[in-house]
Amino acid sequence: MIIMMKKVLAIALAMTMTFGLVACGNSKTEPATPAETTTEETTTEEATTEETTTEETTAEEATQQAAAGADVNGDGKVIVGYISKNLTDPFHAPINEYAEKTLNQMKSDGTIDDWTGILDGETDPNKQIDRADECITKGCDAVIILPAESEASDPAVTKLADAGINVIVVNSKTVSTDERAIAYCGSNDVEAGKMLGEWVVKNVPDGGKYIHCTGILGNSAQIDRGQGIAEVMSAHPEFELVGEPDTQWSGDKAANATTDAIAQYGDELVAVICDNDDMSSAAQRAANDAGRSDIVCVGVDGNQNPLQMVKDGDLGATVLQDGVGQVAAGIDVITALINGEEFDSAPVIPFVLVTKDNVDEYLN
Amino acid sequence: MLGKIKAKSAHNDSLRMLMGKYGIGIVLLIMMVVIGIMEPAFATSNNFINVATQVAINGMISYGMCLAITTGGIDLAVGAQLALTSCVLGVTITNSGMNVWVSCFIALLVATLFGLLNGVLIAKFNMFPFVVTLSTQLIIRGLSQVISGGKAISLTSDVFKNIYSGKFLGMPIPIVILIIITIIMYLLLHWTKFGRYVFAVGGNVNAAIASGVSEFWTKVGVYTVSGFLAGVAAIIFTAKTGSAQSNIGIGYETDAVAACVLGGTSFAGGIATIPGVLMGIFIIGFIYNGMNLIGVSSYYQSIVKGCVIIGAVLLDMVMNKRNR
Repeated sequence: MIIMMKKVLAIALAMTMTFGLVACGNSKTEPATPAETTTEETTTEEATTEETTTEETTAEEATQQAAAGADVNGDGKVIVGYISKNLTDPFHAPINEYAEKTLNQMKSDGTIDDWTGILDGETDPNKQIDRADECITKGCDAVIILPAESEASDPAVTKLADAGINVIVVNSKTVSTDERAIAYCGSNDVEAGKMLGEWVVKNVPDGGKYIHCTGILGNSAQIDRGQGIAEVMSAHPEFELVGEPDTQWSGDKAANATTDAIAQYGDELVAVICDNDDMSSAAQRAANDAGRSDIVCVGVDGNQNPLQMVKDGDLGATVLQDGVGQVAAGIDVITALINGEEFDSAPVIPFVLVTKDNVDEYLN
Repeated sequence: MLGKIKAKSAHNDSLRMLMGKYGIGIVLLIMMVVIGIMEPAFATSNNFINVATQVAINGMISYGMCLAITTGGIDLAVGAQLALTSCVLGVTITNSGMNVWVSCFIALLVATLFGLLNGVLIAKFNMFPFVVTLSTQLIIRGLSQVISGGKAISLTSDVFKNIYSGKFLGMPIPIVILIIITIIMYLLLHWTKFGRYVFAVGGNVNAAIASGVSEFWTKVGVYTVSGFLAGVAAIIFTAKTGSAQSNIGIGYETDAVAACVLGGTSFAGGIATIPGVLMGIFIIGFIYNGMNLIGVSSYYQSIVKGCVIIGAVLLDMVMNKRNR
């Protein structure tokens, strides 16, 4: 009997846990403190804007609506959200650091009322969508997002746009960025690929055999950079592509591919072009260790380790992707929204070729 | 007269035991109140619905993990199971154009079969669950890379995406699934013979065998259920992101283990309650949600998470000790 009761009690507890959460939220909002009413208002307004925004899907219309003021949910406060890609990647650390510093500054000088802090996307689209929910709950008016995946992170962008929030996509696009976000601040990866090719052509005037170490296949940066490299190299028949190892952004794999290629082609191998510079630095190190420091290795990103190698003279050059410049452009869009100014909805942040001459500017 | 007193004290004992068992609920309540005071936006129905929807994925995995831990094992393959099931969905729906429900069935079947494989390897050859699932997760993730070619497969079917974004009786479907699975798991663990066998095998395997419990079938059952639930989680996950890929679910077993431990599941085996695990699942969900709403810097969040888990488990142990 007692055991029965215990079981009934336990199951009742379990049920109230799940149901109660849904139900008690409603009752809790009734004793309306001022702060709570505003959030209640926002939620109802979200529901209405959800219907209206589906009609105005084009970017221009969204921009016009945004120009009316940065406070889209009408709660009298401008709150900015920031959904990072992750907190661990060396490429993203300075981006997050810059955003944190700048947004804190904007908060303290009163340009914005509040911001969410750096929300951790954990390179996981699932987590990024959850963070988008939280931005909506917090009543954000503008959200900067650095998508983890072009396809899978897209629901985060559409969710925010559905709630009437101004979404600014930074660094890489999601599939509906062009239609739903008010701005995309990134760089043109085809450009980066061309710079890689041109660097090799310039440094090996006689031409020869080269390999191309790819990023994870299907990734937009991999496709675009590969396209840029191919465009330049196909115009130079003195160069011959002898391999495109699937090195998946990994320095370790690129180093192995390089030693394999040296063993196979010997002196005929003149260059290793890599989709990122974790790979090009590892490839250069492998070549140097094999006594082939004449092989030209080059890649994209501008991470600290390759930059250090450029400074030390171990690596000829690296192509820096200006991540900080990208997020700075994103924050500029928010400032323009607040001031009611016009803004560029697709600023292109140029890549920088870093050699021994200018490496000190970028090395921390 | 004597009988009456005895009955009364027995009643008190069971009440106290109940308190001890679900003391974690108090932690959850305190947490909700504190976060609610610091950030009023937290205590809105919308936010609670959000959190309940978000935790559905971890919830499924945690229930499976809870069974595995209760038998004295662990299932590290759940993260990879998410990836494989997701890729099976992508390949069958997008590449082969199959009916959504047929392909969900196939995906669940695949997940369940790999759970079964884990169970057989563990129970038949008496290998350590940690080692077995550590190895099978590599195989499972590898397979998901093979069938997807390492690429993201986009899922545009609205019927399928509706599994996440749709509503049933005004409630988001992931919450409905969470409620149904919670009830089934509760009945399975606390009301059926299988449930009692799980506790018996985890509590004292020799005694269990001596009293005629089949250790083999119990363990096989546990890992099969865990595989199936990981499959359900993967369906929700894939419907949510609208994309099938092989690199998802990395590290998801840690949140599941954390939810189990918070819910009073003992690593020594033989002790667990489903309502406890459910509360653990919500505590994990509220930690993420609450800290983000308050604006705790993400750099400190994992530290806070670790401290909350240790603190909650310590509190639970102290309360249990006093009650014994």
